Amino acid sequence: MRKCVLRMALFASIVAWTPVLSGCWDIKDINHRSLPIVMGVKQVDRAYKVLLLIPEVSPSEAKAKIVSGSGNTINEILDEINKNMEYKVDLLHLKVIVFERSIAEKGLDQSVESFMRSKDIPNKTFTAISEGALEPLFEKLEASSGSGGTEVYDFFEKNAGWSPEVVQTRIWEVFRSMDSYTRDVVIPIIKPGRTTTIESPGGAVIKNGKMVGDINSEESLLYNLFKGSGTQGKIEVMDHATVKIVSDRLNTTSEMHAGQAVLNSRLHLKVTVVETVGTPTEAQIKKEIDKQLSMRFNGMLRSAQAKEADILGLGQLFRDEMSRADLQHWRSKYYPFMKINFKVHVVIQDEGLLKIDV
Amino acid sequence: MNLLECLKSRQELDSDLFLTPMRLSDRTVTLAGYTSLIDMPQTMIVLRQLAQNDVASDHPLFALDSGLGVAMQNPDEQALLDAIAEGDLLIFSDEADRCIRIVPVSRTLSRAIESPTTENVLRGAISAFNEDLDTNIGLVKKHSLSEKLRIRSYMLGKNQRRRSVLLHMEGQNHDRLLESISNKLESLPDKDIPDLQALSELLGFSKWSLISRFNTTELPQEAASALESGKVVLLLDRFPFAVVLPSLLSDLFVTQNDRNFPTVFRVSFQILRILGLLANVLLPGLYVALVAVNPEVLRIEIALSIAGSREGVPYPALVETLLLLVIIELTLESAIRLPKTIGPTMTMVGGIILGQAVVDAKLVSNILIIILAATTIANFTIIGFQNATALRLYKYLLLVLSAMFGVLGLFVGMVIICAYLGHVSTFGIPYLTRWKTGGRHG
Repeated sequence: MRKCVLRMALFASIVAWTPVLSGCWDIKDINHRSLPIVMGVKQVDRAYKVLLLIPEVSPSEAKAKIVSGSGNTINEILDEINKNMEYKVDLLHLKVIVFERSIAEKGLDQSVESFMRSKDIPNKTFTAISEGALEPLFEKLEASSGSGGTEVYDFFEKNAGWSPEVVQTRIWEVFRSMDSYTRDVVIPIIKPGRTTTIESPGGAVIKNGKMVGDINSEESLLYNLFKGSGTQGKIEVMDHATVKIVSDRLNTTSEMHAGQAVLNSRLHLKVTVVETVGTPTEAQIKKEIDKQLSMRFNGMLRSAQAKEADILGLGQLFRDEMSRADLQHWRSKYYPFMKINFKVHVVIQDEGLLKIDV
Repeated sequence: MNLLECLKSRQELDSDLFLTPMRLSDRTVTLAGYTSLIDMPQTMIVLRQLAQNDVASDHPLFALDSGLGVAMQNPDEQALLDAIAEGDLLIFSDEADRCIRIVPVSRTLSRAIESPTTENVLRGAISAFNEDLDTNIGLVKKHSLSEKLRIRSYMLGKNQRRRSVLLHMEGQNHDRLLESISNKLESLPDKDIPDLQALSELLGFSKWSLISRFNTTELPQEAASALESGKVVLLLDRFPFAVVLPSLLSDLFVTQNDRNFPTVFRVSFQILRILGLLANVLLPGLYVALVAVNPEVLRIEIALSIAGSREGVPYPALVETLLLLVIIELTLESAIRLPKTIGPTMTMVGGIILGQAVVDAKLVSNILIIILAATTIANFTIIGFQNATALRLYKYLLLVLSAMFGVLGLFVGMVIICAYLGHVSTFGIPYLTRWKTGGRHG
């Protein structure tokens, strides 16, 4: 009996204390939070300026608005914006962070670190670099926000508008590259489009958190190839034929020969022929693809080597062959002198509905 | 003469009791019984027939071996009243103080065998139990024609006598289960069983239990298959359901009727029921957790659409959900007892209230309507109304925990429910056991 009473008392106290101790009255419902989708960061002299693209939805229509503020640190600005907003600013759904080119050239370390440190910004947020000033870009985004401002997110999202020439780089990847000996990163560059909402002319090469150069869209494709993001659907235009890449596979082997890194890489592509000029043979088409991709790859790698920026993460392949002390000097001692044999092996899977003369 | 006098004085208290004089093979006798239980004209015809036979075979009417019912030896008043209460007819000889008890032609006080009203059968035997115990036993016997079927009969209750019958299949049983049940029934013969809760108490189950410890089924086919698999079936007089012991988790998902479908369909039905259970228990809690506490789990598109649909809703998600859940529970509860002619009104009013008006009035968001409609539908994918009722309760626990702790609370609630289910056992057989025919349990 006594035990029973004790048990009842315990149960009653659990039931009574749980709501009291949970702090559940601080919870804000989803319609009392504003969920910014895009954050823009720029630096004017020493002060930061932050722009937020916040969707405004109602049952009948969806649009977005721009809220901005400036201050000494990003968090100070966010706090200021939060104070002035009618809803609580909740960065949990932040999808894209856009840096202005000038801040990227100065270095992203501080802002990326603060984003990684913050608990409410997801680490999987996409990053992008705005080629021009942020304001025109945001105005364009606001003007074309038919679905509540998710356009720029859809642009990067793989199951929506992403295409293989666009680099996807998440904030944690930028953070990882900042302290890595053997890996640098490319952040896509975007600008307001002339007819579309945005367009991406290529990517920015980021070495240790600083932008040191850029690559174009064609080279972004190769970057995606090495990253394993897939190149399906990309159309390659050559002199005598236009082909569409159906699938790709990359084999790489790495070896060290007397202090020189040698990388053998073989790209297997399956393509379908979309268009021909004249009557090229299959062998001719294959040769053209090999030539075009190899040239482009070697060009991109040479310029990256010159900047000592290992954007393809090739140093990762040599990690097991070098001591940790040597790895420190990968970018300066080994990477610029690395020898790479790049071969493309093409299978024409499909010639379309018309035959090619063999 | 003494006994007859007793009955006469009794008649003044109970007008249903009749005492009719009658001539049977040249003797004057008095018949006694309840008008409401005995079909008098038919019984008299039968009696005359029997009496003539007796005369023809030269037997005195009240001789012990006359074959006219059972002679009662020196009965006391209580014995007579009990016999009458059971619906038997008493014949008193006017000359000697002797009494015979016979089974008369009784009035039909049960409905005919009909199709079930609480369980629908799509493919399988459609006849259902009714209020008559013997009919029910007969139905079970028809469905499991086996010489191994054993029947034990009990008379329970003191003020309200109630016949009950325990059926089991010889050799299939878990002995301890059978022993425990029959011990309980034998040890408390004076306890009245007006309802199932009293039966539950008689069998020693806690009255605070949140899980029905026995299954009830209206289908002889289900009862027979339960017997076949080694469970114990209890039939009560005037109760058109078979009580199947023990009840297990699998009874929520598996029904014998499924076996009338090909295996692939049977398994898909069962998966569907499991999904139904999860949807019913989880959805309201998940809605509150995602809308109020952890909106980051949602995809941005749905987050924006929910935020849009909640625009202008004044209450927090928990209150909003509880409001609508209570309306749904009220609808369910009222629909049970509504006359069939008023049923459509309920549907219409409920449909309008829950459909659009409540959204237009900005009391709740329209996503919530979808969630709660799904919850209510999913509730009844579970087999057995008693199980569906139990499930209705669990979702409130998850709802409250989700409102406080979000998705974490939802999982904690699941753990609590699983722990509770794991702790329940019926006569040493855990609720979460996978039942095997002839297997050893407990």
